[in-house]
Amino acid sequence: MTMQQVVKVTVNGVSYERNVEVRLTLADFLRVELGLTGTHVGCEHGVCGACTVLMNGRSVRSCLMLAVQADGAEIMTVEGLADDGRLHPIQQAFMEEHGLQCGFCTPGFLMAVYELLGSNPDPSDEEIRESLGGQICRCTGYQSIMRSVKSAAAKLAGARV
Amino acid sequence: MAVDIPKSFAGLPATETKWVGRGVNRVEDPGLLTGRTEFVDNLVKPGMVHCAILRSPYAHARVISIDASKAEQLPGVVAVVSGEDARRWSNPAQTMPEGWGCYCLVVDKARFVGEPVAAVAAVNRYVAEDALELIDVEYEPLPVVAEAAAAAEAGGPLIFEDKPSNVMYQRVFNWGDVDAALARADHVFSESFRWHRLGANPMETFGVIAEWNPVDQSAVFQGSFQSQSHMGLGRAAVLGLPSHKVKMISQPHGGSFGGKGGFRGCDIAVLLSRKCGGRPVKYIEDRMEYLLAGASQAWDRHYQASLAVDNDGKVLALDVKLLDDLGATAEGFGAVSAAKPLAAFTGPYAIEVARYDLTLVATNKLPASPYRGMGPPPHNFVIEQLMDIAARELGLDAAEIRRRNYIPPEAFPYTIASGNEYDSGRYEAALDKVLEMSDYAGLRAEQARAREQGRYLGIGIASTIEPGVFDWNAYAIVGLPSTGVPEGVSVGIDILGKIYVKVGFSLEGQGQYTLACQLLADYFGVDISDIAVVYQDSHSAPPHFGPGGSRLGVAMTGAILGAAQLLKEKLIAMAAALMQTDAANLRMLDGMIGIEGVPEAQMHSAQVAATMLARSDLLPPGMDPNPECTYVWTAPGRTPADEEGRAKSYLTAANACHVVCVEVDPDTAMVEILSYYIADDCGTRLNPATVEGMTQGGVAQGVGAALLEEYVYDEEGQLLTSTFMDYLLPTINEVPMTQKAALVTPSPFTPLGAKGVGEGAIHTTPAAIMCAINDALAPLGVRAREVPASPNRLWKLMQEAKAG
Repeated sequence: MTMQQVVKVTVNGVSYERNVEVRLTLADFLRVELGLTGTHVGCEHGVCGACTVLMNGRSVRSCLMLAVQADGAEIMTVEGLADDGRLHPIQQAFMEEHGLQCGFCTPGFLMAVYELLGSNPDPSDEEIRESLGGQICRCTGYQSIMRSVKSAAAKLAGARV
Repeated sequence: MAVDIPKSFAGLPATETKWVGRGVNRVEDPGLLTGRTEFVDNLVKPGMVHCAILRSPYAHARVISIDASKAEQLPGVVAVVSGEDARRWSNPAQTMPEGWGCYCLVVDKARFVGEPVAAVAAVNRYVAEDALELIDVEYEPLPVVAEAAAAAEAGGPLIFEDKPSNVMYQRVFNWGDVDAALARADHVFSESFRWHRLGANPMETFGVIAEWNPVDQSAVFQGSFQSQSHMGLGRAAVLGLPSHKVKMISQPHGGSFGGKGGFRGCDIAVLLSRKCGGRPVKYIEDRMEYLLAGASQAWDRHYQASLAVDNDGKVLALDVKLLDDLGATAEGFGAVSAAKPLAAFTGPYAIEVARYDLTLVATNKLPASPYRGMGPPPHNFVIEQLMDIAARELGLDAAEIRRRNYIPPEAFPYTIASGNEYDSGRYEAALDKVLEMSDYAGLRAEQARAREQGRYLGIGIASTIEPGVFDWNAYAIVGLPSTGVPEGVSVGIDILGKIYVKVGFSLEGQGQYTLACQLLADYFGVDISDIAVVYQDSHSAPPHFGPGGSRLGVAMTGAILGAAQLLKEKLIAMAAALMQTDAANLRMLDGMIGIEGVPEAQMHSAQVAATMLARSDLLPPGMDPNPECTYVWTAPGRTPADEEGRAKSYLTAANACHVVCVEVDPDTAMVEILSYYIADDCGTRLNPATVEGMTQGGVAQGVGAALLEEYVYDEEGQLLTSTFMDYLLPTINEVPMTQKAALVTPSPFTPLGAKGVGEGAIHTTPAAIMCAINDALAPLGVRAREVPASPNRLWKLMQEAKAG
């Protein structure tokens, strides 16, 4: 009934090609078409940030984009962080600092933190607030997330030395 | 044999505890951090179709006709259901109070905006939503009851036409002679308060996959259930099925806070499954559905309250009149939230007489649901405001009036006016701790300087009780007669020595599985990674309730330690047979079972368990070969409620004292939280990191309650806040990074001395912030009595005050 279009994307280093309805959101494309269910959908209107993924290195709300808009893009999701089950330093920091409780919003936070620390390896409290202001967590009250980000920054700095 | 659950770590069979009591990394986290944990929306079942729900656009309207023929013809649609199907295959919802429920799909008339009218199952959600647009519904709008005050009056439109009015419940509880105390007191301070609707909003909305089995007429629900067994009993009643024909499978879920809900979602999805011959039907509530019609709204309250106080600031009586707007039906158990304050009606204060004049009304709004804390947060806001009013009038400091009224440490166990018994506490110590942490005198000096500069700086102090380990008897006044809430687990050792524990609850965020591993690692002297927590569905698990009412940490600790003790005794009996000695000569320490004083006579508990499983020839007479034991814990000493609702209900009373400093902008009336301090005492801390996290999370929800979150309805019963652009959740920019201190006053009644925890901060934070705002605006004479204290509300109050 609705129009279909071919989408070619690279997700976490793997190329995919799918013929999809043009109205399919990027979040549903990742979750349903590709089976990458680590990206969670919290509000479907672009406020909560749970569905945040990186597209060509920049964070986007995958609920507010159509899959066809991502044609040709390189996408990174939470599944792209750990290496064969070995947690990424950001994930490790979140675990050690109890930066999550129910964990539903966490994939979005991790991707936002990945983006932040990629461009700003040693962010101030204010810079952390600025870049995570679009991610909502209902469990933690953010204090442990703040600690997690700082710990992750320290771990990544240590890894670079 | 009698089970004797240790009341402190010293009672565990461990030389020293290595896991419990420490903030260990959570076993839940690797799965959550990598996106592998299976939330319900990740699941795909063979033949599965997807549900979308058509909802009433009117708050009150008769449904004249529904024509779904075009929707049924749409390619990809497999079933459409409406009120006729609900009437044919189900019953109206069970409610508290009884008799205020309706079918899951509108049968005669819609009673709130968003009430389900029809539903579609289709090959995917997109097609299902397309089909909704093809359903024609003819409505006849009816007059709307939008306000609680109007609902309480006679003669208006009736929401349930078989009832004489819209009053669901009305009763006055007198605990002692309140009128005499009011007459005798030197001062009586009275005030009105308004707490607007707000609610849970877990980041994952409700979701379920429902499957009807047409052969044996049974139903399986797999979804995000806070309490699977409770949910299952309700579904059996609604579907008219025997309890063993309804199975609930709870997936890990993304928070609940009491507001996961999903009753109608389950019922509608299973009706669709039945209609399409038993295909699995997935229903994932979207956020706008949650805000409009989910278990999203709680505590729509109008208070009139008085405090009787003598010249020394000693409180003689508390008199609270509450008009609570439960919305269109009582299906969401919102009435429980009005009953729960009985568990801590007078807070941490020794107030000997009290009155609760309680009216619950129906309006054409969304039925109210539970939310974290379950009712006391608004109640505490009222008490703490009254304490500050009394202090201000008597010229006492806010800390001093509280100090003069605390229940003293030597008075425990202490029975409060409304009947519950507090187990233990050092309230003044908590106050002193938080005053010291915050440099309270320094804050007051800073406030004085700020006032000289024309700035509105305020300091709030709030002291509260967190009733922990809920009991059904606490809610007897609204129709729950039972006493005790059983929680059971099975603990076993497999043939290769690994330990497992079977539980009847799934992940929700509080770290329960980690706690299970901590307890068993110390009990059997193994590493935390040697333990598996095994989830069991509602048909498989021992009697259980799961998380809720600040109970699970204590309840599961009791169940696990009980089962572990039974297993230990069984292993010792086996070891005694193997060692050819009497069981009385053996004990288990750090997982080794041996003869006291004979170091070489030792067997590891795992070896004993394996022998049971693999060498039946060595079993002593009468012993079965199963190294697994089950124990079902329930709180000791609970009593049925008397005619005035009084009972020993919640087993524990944690306490907290918060100090917060805020500044109100003179031009915009924006409230900024400058600093925030917490001293809290929840007895023994089984996992301090988890406690700290739940406290901070409660602060965040308390900030939302005090400053941001509100469901707004217009006079036609239309919700004006149906997105996160309008219903404001706190972000990292609004929540203060708090300083916290722990006091540890163990409970004398509980496993390991732990108290229920998780709701304390939302009990306290809204009260503390409102106290601070009123303190800030005291020079203007502003009295902010409405929550949330949004900038527009405060700005108006400030303008009125300035205008004189």
